[in-house]
Amino acid sequence: MAENKSTAMNTVPMPGRRGGGPGSRVEVQKAKDSKGTLKRLLTYFAAEKRRVVLLLAAVAAGVLCGILAPDLQSKAIDAIADRRFDQLPGILVIMAAVYLVSCFTSFVQGLQSAHLSQGTVRRMREDLFRCIVGLPIGYLDTHPHGDIMSRMTNDVENISTTVSQSVSSLFSGVLMVIGTVGMMIYLCPPLAALSCTTVILTAVATKFLSAAMRKAYRKRQALLGSLNGTVEEMVSGYHTVAAYEREEAVIRQFEAISDELTGVGIKAEVLGGSMGPLMNLINNIGFVIIAAFGGYFALRGMISIGVISAFIIYAKQFGRPIDEIAQVWGQIQTAIAGAERVFGIMDVEPEQPGGTLKMEALGEEVEITFEHVNFSYVPGQRVLHDFNLTVKPGQKIALVGSTGSGKTTAVNLLMRFYEPDDGTIRINGTDIRQIDRDSLRDATAIVLQDTVLFADTVRNNLKYADRSVTDGEMFSFAVKSNVDRMIRKLEKGYSTMLTADGDNLSEGQKQLLSITRAFVSKPRILILDEATSNVDTRTEKNIQDAMVKLMQGRTSLVIAHRLSTIRDADVIVVMDQGRIVEQGNHESLLAQKGKYYELYMTQFAGQST
Amino acid sequence: MWKYLKKYWVYALLAPLFMIGEAGMDLLQPALMATIVDEGVLGIGHGGVGSMDIILKTGAQMVALIALGGLCGVLSGVFSNLAAQNFGNDMRKDAFRHIIHFSFSQTDRFTTGSLITRVTNDVTQVQSMVQMVIRGFVRTIILFAGGIYFMLRLDLSFGVVVLCAMPMILLVLIYFLSKITPRFTILQEKLDKVNNVMQENVTGSRVVKAYVQEDYEKKRFGKANDELVGTQMGILLLLNYMSPVMNIILNLSVIAVIWVGQIRVGDGAITPGSVMAAITYLSQILNALMRLGMMYQNISRGAASARRLREVIDTEPEIRDGSFDGEPQIHGQVEFRNVTFAYPERDPILSGIDLVIPPGETVGILGMTGSGKTSLVNLIPRFYDATEGTVLLDGVDVKEYTLANLRGRIACSLQKSEIFQDTIAGNISWGRPEASEEEICHAAQIAQATEFIDIKEHGMAEPVAQSGHSLSGGQKQRLAIARAVLKDAEVLIFDDTTSALDLKTEARLYEALQKEYPEKTKIIIAQRIASVKNADRILVLEDGHLAAQGRHEDLLQTSRIYKEIYDSQMGGESHG
Repeated sequence: MAENKSTAMNTVPMPGRRGGGPGSRVEVQKAKDSKGTLKRLLTYFAAEKRRVVLLLAAVAAGVLCGILAPDLQSKAIDAIADRRFDQLPGILVIMAAVYLVSCFTSFVQGLQSAHLSQGTVRRMREDLFRCIVGLPIGYLDTHPHGDIMSRMTNDVENISTTVSQSVSSLFSGVLMVIGTVGMMIYLCPPLAALSCTTVILTAVATKFLSAAMRKAYRKRQALLGSLNGTVEEMVSGYHTVAAYEREEAVIRQFEAISDELTGVGIKAEVLGGSMGPLMNLINNIGFVIIAAFGGYFALRGMISIGVISAFIIYAKQFGRPIDEIAQVWGQIQTAIAGAERVFGIMDVEPEQPGGTLKMEALGEEVEITFEHVNFSYVPGQRVLHDFNLTVKPGQKIALVGSTGSGKTTAVNLLMRFYEPDDGTIRINGTDIRQIDRDSLRDATAIVLQDTVLFADTVRNNLKYADRSVTDGEMFSFAVKSNVDRMIRKLEKGYSTMLTADGDNLSEGQKQLLSITRAFVSKPRILILDEATSNVDTRTEKNIQDAMVKLMQGRTSLVIAHRLSTIRDADVIVVMDQGRIVEQGNHESLLAQKGKYYELYMTQFAGQST
Repeated sequence: MWKYLKKYWVYALLAPLFMIGEAGMDLLQPALMATIVDEGVLGIGHGGVGSMDIILKTGAQMVALIALGGLCGVLSGVFSNLAAQNFGNDMRKDAFRHIIHFSFSQTDRFTTGSLITRVTNDVTQVQSMVQMVIRGFVRTIILFAGGIYFMLRLDLSFGVVVLCAMPMILLVLIYFLSKITPRFTILQEKLDKVNNVMQENVTGSRVVKAYVQEDYEKKRFGKANDELVGTQMGILLLLNYMSPVMNIILNLSVIAVIWVGQIRVGDGAITPGSVMAAITYLSQILNALMRLGMMYQNISRGAASARRLREVIDTEPEIRDGSFDGEPQIHGQVEFRNVTFAYPERDPILSGIDLVIPPGETVGILGMTGSGKTSLVNLIPRFYDATEGTVLLDGVDVKEYTLANLRGRIACSLQKSEIFQDTIAGNISWGRPEASEEEICHAAQIAQATEFIDIKEHGMAEPVAQSGHSLSGGQKQRLAIARAVLKDAEVLIFDDTTSALDLKTEARLYEALQKEYPEKTKIIIAQRIASVKNADRILVLEDGHLAAQGRHEDLLQTSRIYKEIYDSQMGGESHG
């Protein structure tokens, strides 16, 4: 018995199958190369230098005001205490002016950081999306989709908030501490030194508490992840839960996680919640220190009462930034780690653009040849062995064989979703690597077993390949592929909105729509990969009749389990474990009494044909 | 909500009480500070001679009070957490229990996606709302009310400043919040849109590439992105206009307090220390007011979540348990008596079905997409209830059974093979965790799953990734079939669960099944005639009616629809 836990799941790519899924969990990690990532992140700001400068200037001015205001207030209190009431209006006017300036700077600061963060994030999202659209299929097949998507949803969001909040608060925090300390020293050095004791207290408490907090929060996050995972799995699989009366067991499992989460959550939150009172306590001890010693100094005539009042404000003012800086530092680290993940996607080598030849230049008819093609998704595990096949113009070729025999792989190579290890694929004698990739795909329409429809109207889904197609043309395709009646039965006919996961349609209906979509694109090569597996056979028959009409003189490749689907193909290719084992039309293959005959007889055993 | 909170009323009561302690200490401080300044430093009331003694004594008092306040704060945190988290936990468990017991049509109504968010996200929202209300809200109210009280106690004339500033702050708050709050909803929509485009492009990348629509998708994303950024910008700007306005009001009030203070000090009514204290109180009052405004937002979000959760908890599972828990006379007989079924607010999908399936019979069901095949079998284990007519199992109305008794007699392999994050063996024995290793292997053998399990690195112990992404469609189906076979049931239902199997494997599967379990009633829904050709009886459904039934050979002669299906699969000799 192999006791070692298998950790390397999902390393084998599944051609034609979607990997990954919802329920992405992001763990906060430190970046591997913080410096490099930070540098790269900064280039996003470089484009908006003016805003950065304005922002920093506003922050600096705001801090200056924040430092001046308490001093003015102290002067006012002194004036009152000394009954110099005539001086008061002057001081108050200056105070009002400082306050106004301070408000104005905070406004400018907010404005700039909003523009800065939104602008940066907008460009970053767009860049990331562009890279994702350009990712090779091989990358998407081997990486969990949830993880790729979380970079857009979580990481970019994270960078956005950090940019808009943390950066300016870090800057202002540092300036504020420096300014406040400077002002305190200027006013009364001994009292300033005493005030600093609270800083030490704050630092020690923060360090101690936050270490414990981080641990508790991390544990809570992990439990929350597994709770969400359980809910997702069980709620979306509730049919099966009900069918096997596993309700109570599932509930028990859920409740165990839920209880554990609550326990850990209380611990984490209590720790986190103590931070406030503790800081409050430290702050107030500072308050008392200032009051007591300030009072003592004032008694000795070393300082005025006003200075005490100013000190109280200063001490508060500089306790807060220190607290904040610690927090912000963590946020910035997380953001940098996020940026690294975002850049990680951007750095993936995009799809090769292919050659420059246009399909139109190769002539109207299309002949496809596979010459000695070998291919493996994982080095060493060959999926196609010396694959040779010629598809003549206008032919309908069928690929049959059990799952994993390499049928879909051949299609993947033709569409240039993957590149062969060696061997060549040619269209009309030209290596497809010399053909413009977009032009090649444009000429081809593919219908997959896993239907993908977009959250848009039926009309727009059908016209996906070419929005210039007229409604009339679209209707005629829909009628021909037998889907018009079904669409017109929908709530709003062709204007019905499909939901994101298309769950207002049955699997079979979705397949019909995606087949029609392929027809509407007027392809020169049509590929159906198990495209009618969920459609009943009579409807399928109608589709096939339509195909015969629509694909007149065009080349088509059909992959199917049901032999009835492909019986009338010009050439049937029987595949087994990446090799072509038989090839011929229906009658000749039956006569061979080989693998095809075997497959056929299982379907029609005991039946005189 | 109260029902859940009631259980933790002690915590919910202690938390605000301790909070009063904490906030009270905060409120006492400025007064003590004023004492230090006035009596200790300036020596007011002591003939103008300051006293170090008073300073130290009052200082010590302050430290003691603060420590007490801090302790109260921590305890309040402990209790508010105990209340909120336990409350949330109960609510979450209850909601989940409800959901698991929902009937299929109830789940359809909510949609699974929305149910998942309700149990996870909404619970968290409600939790933090409760915690905030019993802590933050109470604290803010105390600071607000106490601040006003103490300030007025210093001197009534300060009240003028408060009276002027408060309505202004309130007006500004109401104005901005009323503008910002609706935008948050829009923001969420825009965010969903961006995520949706993203998701479509990641999962549908093959289609996008195959139709060369990269540029179109980039444009589509660009538009969604711009809308999102625009909305977010709007909110940020509004917030950005709000805070300076608030600050101006706050700061001008401070100036006003100093101005009023100097008049009163000039009158000899109050001391300079009072003016300092008044400034502290004033900022406490106005800050509390602003925090209340911010809290309003969180509370309204929490309230929306609470409403969504209540919808789940208040929905009673509509399939009621029957009372029959005994053993019926016969085993494995299914009967439909004049059954009609319609999904809520739709036309009937099944009508007038009369059917008896005797024990041990193998029945195949064929029909077009949407003809009601799945709906028919879903009525047997009461996934849905018939709209009219009666469904009987072993001669007893399915509604009379307890659900456990009923479903224990039926093993269903569903159209969508649900695979859980577990090992292969764990997935097979999922419906019967106590099954022995031999039993699991036996079930896998019948389901023809052994061939692919054996070549896995860890065989039966091989872990399966989330949603079975490491398995092919046919492999998933075979695991689901093994799971159904392993469950010791009288009636086996296969709802199109062999569609991804090649015909040879499928044939072997049915052969093994018939050999091992001849006594079980088998109901097989299929697309391919070959799948059901050897069945004792084949039912042909057409538009919710039983159009024909009989053996393969007979149906070929008697049923036009069956003949059509047959022809479509056999190459269509009779078609043009």
